Amino acid sequence: MNKKKLSVGSEGHLNDLVIGQKAVVLALHNDNKALRRRLLDMGITKGVIIEVKKKAPMGDPVDIYLRGYELCIRESETKNIDIRVVE
Amino acid sequence: MKIALVGNQNSGKTTLFNLLTGLNQKIGNWPGVTIERKIGRIRKTNYELIDLPGIYSLSPYTLEEEISRKYIFEEKPDLIINIIDATSLERSLYLTTQLLELDSKVIIALNMADIVERKGIYIDINKLSKLLNTTVIEISALKNTGIEHLISHIRRNEILENIHNKIYSPFIEEIIEDVKIDVDHSRFVTIKALEEDEMFSKYQNEKIQQKIKEVKEHYNSDVEEVIANQRYNYIEDLKEKVLVTKAVKKSTTDKLDKIFLNKWLAIPIFAVIMAMIYILSVGVVGSFTVDFVDARIGQFGEWLSGRLEALNTSAWLISLIIDGIVAGVGAILNFIPQLIILFLLISILEVTGYMARISFFLDKLFRKIGLSGKSLIPFIVGSGCSVPGIMACRTIENEEERKMTIFLTPFIPCSAKLPIIIVFSSFFFEKNQGLIAASLYFLSIIVIIISALIFKKILFKGKTSVYISELPEYKLPDVKYVLRDVFDKTWSFIKRAGSIILICSIIVWFMLSFSWKLEYGVDVEKSILAGIGNSLAWIFYPIIGEYSWAATVSAIQGLVAKEQVVSSMAIIAGFGEDLAETSLIFGSSIFAFFTPLSAYSFMMFNLFSAPCFGAIGAMRRELGSVKQMLKAVSFQTGLAWVFSTLVFTIGTLMMRIFL
Repeated sequence: MNKKKLSVGSEGHLNDLVIGQKAVVLALHNDNKALRRRLLDMGITKGVIIEVKKKAPMGDPVDIYLRGYELCIRESETKNIDIRVVE
Repeated sequence: MKIALVGNQNSGKTTLFNLLTGLNQKIGNWPGVTIERKIGRIRKTNYELIDLPGIYSLSPYTLEEEISRKYIFEEKPDLIINIIDATSLERSLYLTTQLLELDSKVIIALNMADIVERKGIYIDINKLSKLLNTTVIEISALKNTGIEHLISHIRRNEILENIHNKIYSPFIEEIIEDVKIDVDHSRFVTIKALEEDEMFSKYQNEKIQQKIKEVKEHYNSDVEEVIANQRYNYIEDLKEKVLVTKAVKKSTTDKLDKIFLNKWLAIPIFAVIMAMIYILSVGVVGSFTVDFVDARIGQFGEWLSGRLEALNTSAWLISLIIDGIVAGVGAILNFIPQLIILFLLISILEVTGYMARISFFLDKLFRKIGLSGKSLIPFIVGSGCSVPGIMACRTIENEEERKMTIFLTPFIPCSAKLPIIIVFSSFFFEKNQGLIAASLYFLSIIVIIISALIFKKILFKGKTSVYISELPEYKLPDVKYVLRDVFDKTWSFIKRAGSIILICSIIVWFMLSFSWKLEYGVDVEKSILAGIGNSLAWIFYPIIGEYSWAATVSAIQGLVAKEQVVSSMAIIAGFGEDLAETSLIFGSSIFAFFTPLSAYSFMMFNLFSAPCFGAIGAMRRELGSVKQMLKAVSFQTGLAWVFSTLVFTIGTLMMRIFL
């Protein structure tokens, strides 16, 4: 998959980012209530800055850096997180 | 006094627990090592300390997290020690702010790992304590500092009262005050009711519903999200005031991950590491130590039988001691050197932080066969012992993936199966022992993949699954812990040899020495054991190409403990004629029929069939029903039989064609 790299200031989803890009979270959608709660608990709330740090060799899951720690989540979750690129 | 130890996953809770109690409970470097509560006593006091599974919030997501929340609510500890990992202050404080909403007393143990200093982080503890209105004690679980200080604070009860800080916006705080539910942990329960948490649904009323609506309108999002946002806002503000961070350089972890998580190298490196574990523990020591220990035990047996004869001991008692106990127990004590190496390598693997990586990069692959990346952790823990492996499945979020992983974990050769591998491979594959051991390990992976695919088709229909996991920093193993861990595991193997294997050896000897009519000293072919074995030998004929009662009864004894297979073979061999001096077991007329091919297929059956009773019990507990357990055991045994029969049959055919 050759996705176009999002430029600074543009909006998209967390799974659009390439390694090293940082973005601010705008909204978190998820139909699964418990799962959404978990993501909130892990610190994925509105306004938090997330950096994509590592990707698994097969591209999924991804390792993101937020609130001083690293979290691995799958693309099925990252595509439901709206972001704006900041760096 | 009851004290609960609460904190995030992988925050060093169990390390602190071990320091406070002087015990050596299992630690590791991946989220979710502790999967059940552990109880100990704080040194020099009579306070009971309970180590709980790690949690990120009081809204549990997995089984083991549920244990923690239940404990806090139902057992009502007198004090909560909240351990906070200074490297991830923000996320840790998220749980802290929830604990501070309870009525319980809370003391914070701020764990300053040496990573913190290297990262150039400084935390103003006095300020943190003042802002949170809670007692905060700095400790280092790794360097063992501050522990006495923590204990003396608890003993002298120098702990600030929990005064329920108002951390939300005035709008929310007013609502909380307004709809206040008058129960234990009032503030917490009120907030949960506003969040519409199912566990607190009995407190719902019209007024709360009305307020929930108001919040939604005011913030344009639901209460859960508003509360989480405001909680994190409060923490960010707090962090700003207490935390000083200097410039961060690229961490060692990132550099190491460039290699271990490399797109092309990750999987080959993993394969090499796993193969090395088996090659090292089986191949390197080789037959040297086995021969050495074997010779010593042989000498001991001769010496002992000499002494017993001198004491005029009756012949049957000498036979019981020498041919039964010394042969049976001695046979498995041979393998201690290999087991020590295996335990050491697994222990190192567990504490470095590599396990979490394996589960991360194999997740996608595992998902294809209906498992989760997290299934890998039980598999690797299971290479030591299936019981903790099966229990480690609790961290898997999805119920079906969890059950499947429980079904599959016993396929991984555990340390008690190592004696079986060594006995056969050292005789039949002398030059390639290590490779044969590694090949069986990879074969077990193939068996797991095939079974997973079968399950996915018939038993479980895949539902949406989740993978959320923290990626910890790499750590150097703590030498003291690792050595103690290896010692504990080795010691428990020796204890098993001295108890269960000893008893089995006596029983086996008895059944070999007596006939059905209870005549002593009959020909072994007329013994009770031979009788039982002969009636079941047809089951094993397709696997070993021989109606062997001896191999049959030995394999069945694997149910007691897998190393008992070897112990039983050693005792039975002693009752046969010595055809060759080279090997105790295969030099005996009773087992002389084994060929390299039947040795391999027989090994396969023993490795993949039903695990020992201990592991079967663990499966029943974790699967929740006897029916499910029986399903698992019959699946495992059936599959083992089919696979080993296939290997033997195809092998035999190929030899006929090519040789």
